[in-house]
Amino acid sequence: MTRIVDQARLDANWRAITAELDAPRPSLVERVLRRLRVPGHVTRLVVATPALRRAWYLSIAVAVVVGIGSAQPGDRDSLFALLILAPALPLLGVSLAYGPSVDPLHEAQLATPMRGIRLVAVRAVTVLSVSAVAVGAPALLAPATRSGAFLWLLPALALTSAALALMTWLPPRRAAAAVATAWFAAVVVARIAASADLAAFGRVGQSAALVVAVAGGLVAYTRRSSFDRMDVLA
Amino acid sequence: MTAAFVRADGVVKHYRGRQVLAGVDLLAQGGVISLLGPNGAGKTTLLRCLATVVAQDAGTVSIDGLDPSREPERIEIRRRLGYLPQDVGVVEGATAFDTVDYLAVLKGERDDRRRRRAVFDVLDRVGLRDRAGERVERLSGGMRRRLGLAQALLGSPSLLLLDEPGAGLDPDERLRLREILTERRSTATVVVSTHMTDEAAISDTVIVLDDGGIRFNGTPERLAAVAAGRTWVQPGLPPPDVRASWRLADGRTRCLGTPPPGADLVPPTLEDGYLLVRG
Repeated sequence: MTRIVDQARLDANWRAITAELDAPRPSLVERVLRRLRVPGHVTRLVVATPALRRAWYLSIAVAVVVGIGSAQPGDRDSLFALLILAPALPLLGVSLAYGPSVDPLHEAQLATPMRGIRLVAVRAVTVLSVSAVAVGAPALLAPATRSGAFLWLLPALALTSAALALMTWLPPRRAAAAVATAWFAAVVVARIAASADLAAFGRVGQSAALVVAVAGGLVAYTRRSSFDRMDVLA
Repeated sequence: MTAAFVRADGVVKHYRGRQVLAGVDLLAQGGVISLLGPNGAGKTTLLRCLATVVAQDAGTVSIDGLDPSREPERIEIRRRLGYLPQDVGVVEGATAFDTVDYLAVLKGERDDRRRRRAVFDVLDRVGLRDRAGERVERLSGGMRRRLGLAQALLGSPSLLLLDEPGAGLDPDERLRLREILTERRSTATVVVSTHMTDEAAISDTVIVLDDGGIRFNGTPERLAAVAAGRTWVQPGLPPPDVRASWRLADGRTRCLGTPPPGADLVPPTLEDGYLLVRG
């Protein structure tokens, strides 16, 4: 056969066949994402790093606990607890999804053409999506929290966005800690000042969250080079 | 594929208040360049500057005329780059295939089939194809190092930056590493950091770094020649003014420095030259 077919081409074909046969089976999450028509290279970005897995599973675990906890019959305190804690979950997830302290392949990743801002954005969206489902579903089912089951989404987006912006100056964990501290302080101050439990989640609060989300995104994008260097993230 | 043209002029870098690079110059295109030096000499920092993952405090770096301080040019440099960091961590739960496949995605290979083939090609090249499905935490230190090398080889880069690629490798694995370096020297500029002189012996150029500065830049033969006429063996203890000395297996002492009259001069090695250059 090698007399009539180019040997190099035969070898290339054989390599292609064996690569398909020998490739390990994708993980369950990856298979589900592929069923949902998420492209293979994107599922790799989402799933194939332990930093994300850790962030992912941690977010899910904490989110479900919070969700179930908030779904217990009770007064408005359940809803307040949900609304103050739920936005911090994706923040926690994002802080564990990027940087040299959580990603063993971080330095190798930095030397690739993949922009850090894109990778961190993919991971932030993933963590936000998982949190939305994990917290939103049980909150919707519980009578005590149903009315405000998704009031935390915009604040969550704002906190994540603010953390991303701050990560261009500070290491991820410190950035997340600073934003979380500011968030808890703001909610408590709003509650005291307005003498209302959910003052921070009203129209003004939601508008402020939207502004912070957009501003944070703009700052992170403008300073995106910081995600591509070790100096800032170390 | 043309080997990348690497240029560094007066590169200065501080780390935690200490100067780790003190005005380093480098010019290279093609071949294997070994950065030889003790721990803390600045080898890793220089490689990180060349790999564009760290920005120098002063001086300039350019790869094929591209400036890494400008984002689009930095991205273009990274397309041409294969980089093995000093510490490639272990992604627990991931297989060897997953690890390299993930980095192949980051390197821009979106087509699943083509990527799988590329991943198996590099795993094959470093002798890990049979271990593709094995979890990384179960691989030995040497195998993990080879896995790191595999991801660096993805995409046939024109600039290969390898930080201590021989660390933890057994003799067979080191032989394979030498083959890979030799094979790539014609199509890529390969910069390797090491503190082992025998690894540097296969390179075209040896750069001795110490305290952030270049102490020597030349061929391995020239480095060994630094010790010509300054290496001798003698019985008993060395004279007090020798630069370096150590006891040989036969009980004699090998000495470096200014030989006494009538000394039994011996042919110098790369290590002799290195020790004299470091002073």
